[in-house]
Amino acid sequence: MATRNRTLIFRKYRDALKSVRIPTSSSSSSQQPLSSDGRGGGPVIELVSTSLLNPNRSYAPLSTEDPGNSSKGALTVGLPPAWVDISEDIAANVQRARTKMAELAKAHAKALMPSFGDGKEDQRTIEGLTHEITGLIKKSEKKLQRLSAGGPTEDSNIRKNVQRSLATDLQNLSMELRKKQSTYLKRLRQQKEGQDGVDLEMNLNGNRSRIDDEDGLDDMAFSDLQMARVKKTEAFTAEREREIQQVVESVNELAQIMKDLSVLVIDQGTIVDRIDYNVQNVATTVEEGLKQLQKAERSQKQGGMVMCATVLVIMCFIMLVLLILKEILF
Amino acid sequence: MVVVSAARDYINRMLQDISGMKVLILDSQTVSIVSVAYSQSELLQKEVFLVEMVDTISKSKESATHLKAVCFLRPTSENIQFLRRQLANPRFGEYHLFFSNMLKDTQIHLLADSDDQEVVQQVQEFYADFVALDPYHFSLNVPSNHMYMLPAVIDPSGLQHLCDRVVDGIAALFLALKRRPAIRYQRTSDVAKRIAHESAKLMYQKESGLFDFRRGELSPLLLIIDRRDDPVTPLLNQWTYQAMVHELIGIQDNKVDLRGIAKASKDQQEVVLSSEQDAFFKLNMHENFGDIGMNIKRMVDDFQQVAKSNQNIQTIEDMAKFVENYPEYRKMHGNVSKHVTLVTEMSKLVEERKLMLVSQTEQELACNGGQVAAFEAVTNLLYNESVSDIDRLRLVMLYALRYEKESPVQLMQLFNKLSSRTAKYKPGLVQFLLKQAGVDKRTGDLFGNRDFLNIARNMARGLKGVENVYTQHQPLLFQTMENIIKGRLRDVDYPFVGNHFQQGRPQDVIIFIVGGTTYEESRSVALQNAVHTGVRFTLGGSVVLNSKRFIRDLEEAQRIAKSSTNVV
Repeated sequence: MATRNRTLIFRKYRDALKSVRIPTSSSSSSQQPLSSDGRGGGPVIELVSTSLLNPNRSYAPLSTEDPGNSSKGALTVGLPPAWVDISEDIAANVQRARTKMAELAKAHAKALMPSFGDGKEDQRTIEGLTHEITGLIKKSEKKLQRLSAGGPTEDSNIRKNVQRSLATDLQNLSMELRKKQSTYLKRLRQQKEGQDGVDLEMNLNGNRSRIDDEDGLDDMAFSDLQMARVKKTEAFTAEREREIQQVVESVNELAQIMKDLSVLVIDQGTIVDRIDYNVQNVATTVEEGLKQLQKAERSQKQGGMVMCATVLVIMCFIMLVLLILKEILF
Repeated sequence: MVVVSAARDYINRMLQDISGMKVLILDSQTVSIVSVAYSQSELLQKEVFLVEMVDTISKSKESATHLKAVCFLRPTSENIQFLRRQLANPRFGEYHLFFSNMLKDTQIHLLADSDDQEVVQQVQEFYADFVALDPYHFSLNVPSNHMYMLPAVIDPSGLQHLCDRVVDGIAALFLALKRRPAIRYQRTSDVAKRIAHESAKLMYQKESGLFDFRRGELSPLLLIIDRRDDPVTPLLNQWTYQAMVHELIGIQDNKVDLRGIAKASKDQQEVVLSSEQDAFFKLNMHENFGDIGMNIKRMVDDFQQVAKSNQNIQTIEDMAKFVENYPEYRKMHGNVSKHVTLVTEMSKLVEERKLMLVSQTEQELACNGGQVAAFEAVTNLLYNESVSDIDRLRLVMLYALRYEKESPVQLMQLFNKLSSRTAKYKPGLVQFLLKQAGVDKRTGDLFGNRDFLNIARNMARGLKGVENVYTQHQPLLFQTMENIIKGRLRDVDYPFVGNHFQQGRPQDVIIFIVGGTTYEESRSVALQNAVHTGVRFTLGGSVVLNSKRFIRDLEEAQRIAKSSTNVV
């Protein structure tokens, strides 16, 4: 795959041309103080952030007060708009959730291994980790919803795309989590059934042997032993049910999140996934948005509402004046 | 040697070293180049959050200096102007410029002149200057394609424009593949000769340093041929999936526009037919209509099974499984409805235009059959009310191409009948076609009636009978490919440029058809590549033709030719 780098030649030309231009720069800058849209040092930060969040551009006059800081200085990179912080937050959350998922996988594996202990600690760590991850995903999803606010500004396309990319990440994460949980659940069930099966078998064998050995004398003893065994089995079953219930709950939570996210995620291979389709759509929606805004502005200015409001206010004043006159005269 | 992966590699390299949020700036040609090779979701993964066109970026006054601009443009003078305007008032923090072909020094000079704020970080040439439609098929989407039919005297600048674009595209392809070919061209075509010589000059003289790849293997072969050597293939109606969709509805950059069709649901207004992204399409794109119907039915049955099991949710486990499989399910649903919509629409068109009947006669005209029977069949169809105008025109054109010399009287009769039945198409168009691509102008043995061997082959085929009447036609390209494999491509007909004589058989062959390729030919190439003969073919053209497009090119060329003779 051949490529050719022309950057050196470009830089050479650029430097050569700059050295030719510099003697004339002072005259050109005084003639065109506004040529660069105000890219001096100080006002940049405010200008950039307000231009995107506040269309009034009330800070614009600042640029006219700094004619000296014209385009000759190096371009200072303005601060990104506020929503970029939110997207970075979400990205950080996704990263944290990923590391926790790795821990969760290890905890799952450990809990499934046969052990002498009760396994309660393992359960608790698993529960804790699952809760944390679900919480992170929920928080990220809420923040994601906040990104979508805003009208048809130019910025909104970038926001929508950032949203889409983060939504895809979140969806993948939640699907991974659920897969891990369901495999864990399945294996847990298999294990417990195996244990119970063994137990029952032992019970049966035990009973049979007992019945074979002794007939009626140890009936009471049987039932006691049986009762004890049955109680133990019940306890096991209850606990297993509780565990399964918890896992199922978290599965349901994640299902809810996935439903919300699936609206945002792009289906691969469809027309929405094509770059040229999105570029065309952007052009048309931005134009549409502009038209709508202009229409709204016009109708608002001519609006009957405004006239009504002004008429009512005038009436209020007239009434007030009449009231005062009445008090004075009578 | 796969063209799609070459394009993808270039785009990957463009985006990988630049960190942070990016904007991709494209022009009207590169947007096609990028869209067929890269998807929007992949761009999002690489943190490209906005795609804009170069002609509209200066219209907005909002600045977004936290974004880095990656510009991928063709090195045309308009693009340089747009870039200059943008660099004088930059909207973005950094600019990384990538051009799809070679820049002239003056252009770099102009860019450097306007970059007083030094926002340009790099200027590179990444040679992805072709639209990679399928692994072995590319196109250049040349807008003024009809120019190739006109002699140079009529519109020299237009023809120069076309030749330059073609030479640029070919050069870019070989730079992407890192090979330098031996060039052969069709002797009887002036435009092919011109393109061949200009490409050779570029690759061996002007930029020989750039093209100097020291590879030990045999150099590949570039064969440049003219569309007019085989005018029959674009005129025929097609019955294999990809070719048929293009012929009846139209595929542009692997996208099908269904907006004219009333029945299409809202999310099926435009669909994507890409062999890279759609596994079902990849398996079925070269199958004929009957087989596709069966395969789609099977796909719909499978889908119904899945849908039924999804409705049968009773336990929580089932619910969890459903939610897990939902994305897959949705994708399958979309795919199934896309193919069903396409096939339904095509069946409707076949029914309306009586294409089964028309196509049978077309195939007879193209492949075999006697002159008398052909004349009768064409006359009957001309009188048939339900045959559309364009089909009538096609039939007469095919008859004329085949039996041009055999019975001029009957040909005149057909012309008269045609002009009496269709108001839109004049027989002058058919005569223009004959002038362009008549028997005297063609090199190859299009109808298999020049060479003894071919005549014998045809007779044998006629006696044996054909498997499927509708797909019996083989494009002339197939014979050309066979000749190349056997090393029998005659030097008299297809001479080498300069002293590029090649020893032995080439392993890689790029065939470029000036005037456009057809999907039937790309299918031929794909099937040939599947048979491992040790030679790999890649096909490219200035556009991808269907019968409507070919006839439109003829009309445009005829109009220009007529107006120029009026002036002269």
